[in-house]
Amino acid sequence: MARENIYQEEEFPSPLMQLWYNFKKNPMVMLAFGSYLALAILAIFSPILTPFSSSQSHLEYILLPPAWNDDGNVSFLLGTDKLGRDILSMLMHGASFTFGLSFIIVIISAVIGVLIGSLSALTSGFKSSFLNHFLDVILSIPSLLLAIVIVAILGIGLSNTVLAIIIVLIPQFIHITKNEVKKEFSKDYVLASKLDGASPLRLLRYSIFPNIIERVITQATLAQSAAILDIAALGFLGLGAPSEIPEWGAMLSNGVDLFYIAPWTVYFPGLAILFTVIATNLVGEGLRHALKQRKVY
Amino acid sequence: MLIFTLRRLNLFIFTLIVLTALSFSLSFLFPGDALINLTGQVNATPEQRLLLIEEYKFNSNIFQQYWAYLSHLFDGDLGVSIASHLPISSEIMNLLPATIELSVVALIIAMVVGIPLGFIAAVNHEKFADNTILFVSMLGYSIPIFWLGLLAILIFSIELGWLPSAGRLSLVYEIEPITGIQFFDILMSNSEYKWQAFQDATLHIIMPACVVAMAPMTTFIRLARTSMMEVLESSYIKAAKAKGLTFWQIIHRHAIRNALVNVIRYVGLRFANLVTLAMVTEVIFSWPGIGRWLIESIFQRDYTAIQGGLLALSSFIFIVHILSDFIYAALNPLAREHNHGA
Repeated sequence: MARENIYQEEEFPSPLMQLWYNFKKNPMVMLAFGSYLALAILAIFSPILTPFSSSQSHLEYILLPPAWNDDGNVSFLLGTDKLGRDILSMLMHGASFTFGLSFIIVIISAVIGVLIGSLSALTSGFKSSFLNHFLDVILSIPSLLLAIVIVAILGIGLSNTVLAIIIVLIPQFIHITKNEVKKEFSKDYVLASKLDGASPLRLLRYSIFPNIIERVITQATLAQSAAILDIAALGFLGLGAPSEIPEWGAMLSNGVDLFYIAPWTVYFPGLAILFTVIATNLVGEGLRHALKQRKVY
Repeated sequence: MLIFTLRRLNLFIFTLIVLTALSFSLSFLFPGDALINLTGQVNATPEQRLLLIEEYKFNSNIFQQYWAYLSHLFDGDLGVSIASHLPISSEIMNLLPATIELSVVALIIAMVVGIPLGFIAAVNHEKFADNTILFVSMLGYSIPIFWLGLLAILIFSIELGWLPSAGRLSLVYEIEPITGIQFFDILMSNSEYKWQAFQDATLHIIMPACVVAMAPMTTFIRLARTSMMEVLESSYIKAAKAKGLTFWQIIHRHAIRNALVNVIRYVGLRFANLVTLAMVTEVIFSWPGIGRWLIESIFQRDYTAIQGGLLALSSFIFIVHILSDFIYAALNPLAREHNHGA
């Protein structure tokens, strides 16, 4: 980077700050980031924020259309479902299941995947080749099929779905960590500390992890959007959340029977999933772009 | 090329071993009796059971059990379905072609639409067309597939009434299944109403295939865009420019071919994802494929079916994976050389 600064003092922002400056340049990405934070807040505080309890049924208001419809009622802004539950409250509460759980899933699988991936990057020869082939096999099984098999073993239910998706996501993290660590290992700065006598584990901890953590985070946002879609898909197929839990996919499948009478019970959960996945993807995209920009300098 | 082939063959054999070991171990992991899960014989009498134990070597060690399972697999014997008591292998032979048909048509749609769009985006880099295409691809990538399917049914089947919403073929037509791939069967049959049946089958497949194709299409847009942008920055394009070729000549003769090679490389990798989407779509559109059957098997606790389906579907995906690797290697000599531990 050419220095054309006339000031005596020079201050270079830390890599993280550089990333943030690049990240916040794009208004679309910032909008998505705001939505992402709002969803996170909603996921944590939804029991306090919802206008009604998500399981409370208002028997006098069954299948009420949204408030802007002539038959709507403004206290049920997005209408009610076939049991008279308020859809807005269910959607808000559902954020903690679909969005919140996806967050937890990604963190757990990222930690496990990064640990296994970085340790496996230290191996070579037969062990490494065996692991490579094994990962290839696991990655070639469709994620939903793997999740179905795991649900078949453990039984149907939300917690089992979560476990299944964690297991499905781990190989992706192993794969990316392994590739990144291998790439870093061949660089000179690692060689330098190796010559200083650092053990492989120390190399990983102090030299390599700080350099690959951002790429892992980028992968994590991608994995999160996949996790949201998977939770919702399994909920929709009836393998995940039971219908009394306001998970968005399960809500959608509840509404399917009444699709032609009460289309809003299908529209809104679908829109909620779409919105959340777009926000997550845009944040990931922005991160990736910011990382690429930072590398240019 | 020979070494490349041997390496792939090695990978293929390894994969089959891992997959069969996985499916074998599932019979112990699933709830219930391992022998019943493996064979599907729920109502076996004690004598039959003794016979099965003998046949599957359940009285000796685990490796002999696995070997017995493998030899059954090689005979095409995957046990019988716990729910329907039909042999799993015949069920799979009926259902897998429908899934293959759906996913291949979807793959073709995704490639035919996605790759040109990606090229257009790359050529107009950071202009209006590029941004629009990227925005649409972000939308298509994020949309939940089951929701898209329901909306498509609502719009095209219910409101407009253009396309049928369920099944593969109207019940009016009677087509003898020969290959299982409906289009080939129709063409091979000697029915008078061949062409009507063909049209009907086409109408049936359009909507589910487009729904499945949506997400892979956006991946192809991205891949094509990145690969085209890389190619456009390379030196041989600069040389062609210096030679005085017009922009379209460069794109036609030099850029598209080289960019396509890189896209083809990823077809195999994306295929597993596409099959996942096809499985959900089969449920929504009542497509008689293996995905719907597998999901129903969970509710019926048909563990033999899940094992067999896992084996069949994953081997199919792996075969596509390896085929696309071969096509890539045939097109790109650089890929044949140093490709260790792929």
